[in-house]
Amino acid sequence: MSIGREQVLHVAKLAEIGVDEADLPKLVEQLDRIVGYVEQLNQVPEAPAEPFLAGPTAAPLRDDVVRPVPLERPPADFAPEFRDGFFLVPRHGAMEDL
Amino acid sequence: MTAGTVGRARAQASAVAREVGARLKAADNLNATLHWSQAALDAEAARVETLDPASPLYATPIALKDNLVTPEQPTTCGSRILEGYVSPFSCTAVARLRAAGAIVAAKANLDEFAMGSSTEHSAYGRVKHPLDPDRVPGGSSGGSAALVAAGVVPAALGSETGGSVRQPASFCGVVGVKPSYGRVSRYGLVAFGSSLDCISAFGRTVGEAAQVLAVMSGRDELDATTVDRPPLVVPAPLTDLKGLKVGLPKEYFPADLHPGVRAGLDRTVAAVRELGAEVREVSLPYSRYAVPTYYIIAPAEAAANLARYDGVRYGPRKIGPEGDIRALYRATRGAGFGPEVRRRILIGTYVLSAGYYDAYYRKAQTVRALIAQDFQRALEPGGVDLLLTPTTPTPAFKAGEKTEDPVAMYLADVFVCAISLAGLPAMSLPVGRDNGLPIGAQLIAPSFEEGRMLAVGGALERVLRADEEVR
Amino acid sequence: MSWETVVGLEVHVQLGTRSKMFCGCSTAFGDPPNTNVCPVCLGLPGALPVPNAQAIRLATRAALALGCTVRPRSVFARKNYFYPDLPKGYQISQFDQPLATGGAVSFDSAERGRITVGVTRLHVEEDAGKLLHDRFPGKTAVDLNRAGVPLAEIVSEPDMRSPAEARAYLTTLKQLLVYAGVSECSMEKGSLRVDANISVRPAGQTTLGTKCEVKNLNSFANVERALHAERDRQIGLLESGGRVAQTTLLFNAGSGQVKPLRSKEESHDYRYFPDPDLPPLVVGAGFVDEQRDALPELPAAKRERLVAAFGLSAYHAGEIAADRPLADYFEAVVAAGAEPKAAAGWVLGDVMTGYNESGTFRVDPARLAELIGLVARNVVSQQAAKRIFPQLANGGGSAQAIAERLGLVQVSDVGALEQWVEEVLRAHPGEVERYRAGEKKLIGFFVGQVMKKSQGKADPKGVQPVLAAKLGDAS
Repeated sequence: MSIGREQVLHVAKLAEIGVDEADLPKLVEQLDRIVGYVEQLNQVPEAPAEPFLAGPTAAPLRDDVVRPVPLERPPADFAPEFRDGFFLVPRHGAMEDL
Repeated sequence: MTAGTVGRARAQASAVAREVGARLKAADNLNATLHWSQAALDAEAARVETLDPASPLYATPIALKDNLVTPEQPTTCGSRILEGYVSPFSCTAVARLRAAGAIVAAKANLDEFAMGSSTEHSAYGRVKHPLDPDRVPGGSSGGSAALVAAGVVPAALGSETGGSVRQPASFCGVVGVKPSYGRVSRYGLVAFGSSLDCISAFGRTVGEAAQVLAVMSGRDELDATTVDRPPLVVPAPLTDLKGLKVGLPKEYFPADLHPGVRAGLDRTVAAVRELGAEVREVSLPYSRYAVPTYYIIAPAEAAANLARYDGVRYGPRKIGPEGDIRALYRATRGAGFGPEVRRRILIGTYVLSAGYYDAYYRKAQTVRALIAQDFQRALEPGGVDLLLTPTTPTPAFKAGEKTEDPVAMYLADVFVCAISLAGLPAMSLPVGRDNGLPIGAQLIAPSFEEGRMLAVGGALERVLRADEEVR
Repeated sequence: MSWETVVGLEVHVQLGTRSKMFCGCSTAFGDPPNTNVCPVCLGLPGALPVPNAQAIRLATRAALALGCTVRPRSVFARKNYFYPDLPKGYQISQFDQPLATGGAVSFDSAERGRITVGVTRLHVEEDAGKLLHDRFPGKTAVDLNRAGVPLAEIVSEPDMRSPAEARAYLTTLKQLLVYAGVSECSMEKGSLRVDANISVRPAGQTTLGTKCEVKNLNSFANVERALHAERDRQIGLLESGGRVAQTTLLFNAGSGQVKPLRSKEESHDYRYFPDPDLPPLVVGAGFVDEQRDALPELPAAKRERLVAAFGLSAYHAGEIAADRPLADYFEAVVAAGAEPKAAAGWVLGDVMTGYNESGTFRVDPARLAELIGLVARNVVSQQAAKRIFPQLANGGGSAQAIAERLGLVQVSDVGALEQWVEEVLRAHPGEVERYRAGEKKLIGFFVGQVMKKSQGKADPKGVQPVLAAKLGDAS
């Protein structure tokens, strides 16, 4: 498999990353090179392997206690746009439907 | 100029803060730091002076890779997308170090979001190798490694996802220790590849790195992937290695290995034998697939981990010409991420997308399990106690040498990646120099056997002259 | 042509925990915006999720209440998409390895009698935040208090055949979940939400038609209305030779119409993969048993028991068992000594009226049992008891004391009864004539007059023989 211009544009859309037209040819070439490289895993014959887990084998569970990690600064201090307790974003498009 | 000592008793913290400030200033040309100020150092010193001088890291200046969140200084991850961001909470590991008396000296430069092997991918400029400004210090924790190598601090924190501490430790001639996955809390480490990420330690010596690691280690109720085990105990130094079996995985000694690296490893193997250990060849056949496996799994996780940088809640925001939310996302993220981060997000998105998941992501998970199985077999009872390999295929390379070819850059991690995939503890130990450039040897231990590895590393450190030419 | 409707439902219920799914923030409803937030639910760099044990307990109870198999090992997965109410750019959910699978919900369908709807799966996930579009001109406001609140998603099989069955399924499901103490299930507060999948096919066809998803359903009644509207739309399309295109539609409760999402994104590619921040969710057999033990008797079993143990009619038993507090109250009244059928009558009458109004039971069960006993022993009449009941609610003391204070204790003394009877007969000579001429049904009239004259105090059972004697029947 190789990755082409359309696929790069598709994944860029999924990842919500704007790509300048001028950057696109080089980006396609580099991604194609990376995909071509990782493709060598196809050479590994399918072998039975227990799923690998790096950490604990079972999730530890937390007691149901209201005890949030406190914020040393309120959201208003780090938000790009914040008013009356709300984060604000432009109102447009699909969001009006819901 | 000396770098202070880990755990120096009754040190005057304020004096240490002034010395470190002076050294940071002097090392400014390395571009190894992103945030530090004398005022912040003095505040740290004042805080430390209220602590018990017997605290294990009392008045020890430590640099932090700038992907560890701290409420006192910004945390940018070397990215424009977090420019000016100051975290409203603290990283658990850093909080533990500070409680043990450490002075946070500086936030160190890094490859953007820890993605890179040369610290050339920082939005705030590349870090220079302390011994040769034309070369790279390795990466992604290049700033931390350079600060220790330059004698600015005795120890520093980096993070590993696929070798990002061991590789720069090797390039810079310092000790770099990656713990077992789950040994140190990741809470407050800005995520890159969550199943791989480990906060790791640099030290001038094995003891220094071990002490830092010991203080950080132990379960954290804020990280579900920490393992419920007692904290690491710094091992007593070994005087010999009698009874120890050390494996040399043949796949890690290819015919075209850099001659300087080979010579460095030869003298290390000789030292291991001289200290009484048995050395034998082992095989880790699936390790040859580690880099491609890593470059599927890490980007897949990264693509999701970096989705939160959307310009809605924090960080700089850009709004594209359409003025809607999608335009906000695309402009903010398009402008905020540098080329390498963008490549990895796109690759990660691709390998998880409909129609490709099985061929890439699922396959990589299978191979990851096979890679881990190799190590488990080699290191199980009846096998060997530790593995010894080169840390890197070459000494530090020249800046710009690999920036145009991402895959060439990825291959700088060919000997460190597999260990990260297997979640094992490993360390890089400086074992000599080749044409003035440090060579590192890598020790790999079974899961949660850091103690064994550090004890052996300490023994080798005493007999190997790391500043000697290896050939 | 006749058409068959096929409906499947996806229901999200908020698990009734104090803290969120993956962090220690409060789940309180209605707090000022962005006050119940922390590094985890704001999606700040470096924050990590840790699962809430109580959420897992409640989800497991829900699964057991629905007859699902709880899987010993399930996996949290990341569902990736961008939306301003989703702080991390992914939702932590479960995908190919959910907590539970293979349950069923049974209920009565008006059209098909008793039916069973399969429950495909139940999984645990976190909620998103809330968006307000009308608060600031040109802006959407984001409140993340709800982000990270624990949810169980319950997916049914496409086993319903009408909008009414969909509604009945929801009613039954809600009853079960409220019973099991899993969720408040309030659509008003957003603790129960429904998305419906609907398709139509010619009657007799076994393959499914193309389905559409209907969203924005804010009450069970509106689920039914929306499904009617969508069914009619699909049938109209097909009958006019058109085809149904797979779409997501929004229901407008004002107009009663469904309309396609105006700007539908291209088909979603959520790129699910196991969340590397969370090891597998392992629930041991012991844990599952504990949750099973924690479940109360469920409505169906309770209904059967009420019939078997107390001789209630199936209808009364069903009405009482439908609501756990009501059923508990009923059982408390019976336990306090009341005759069960009489208790059922009270519980489904005056008690339920008050409960529906106030949501509470204002009469102590023992007091009601006492009152029922007074009626049974002819100490007070049923009518008098109806007057005593509100006084009990107002804390007026024992039923006996109230009856005495209000002068409602029944009079059975024959002398007193004879006096009232004679007065009534004297006052209604015409009716006495007609009775004696054979109009025997007037006996009821005389009893009523005696009761009226005695202000309800006369024991009706004692009045009858006295009347009969005075009217000359007894001879």
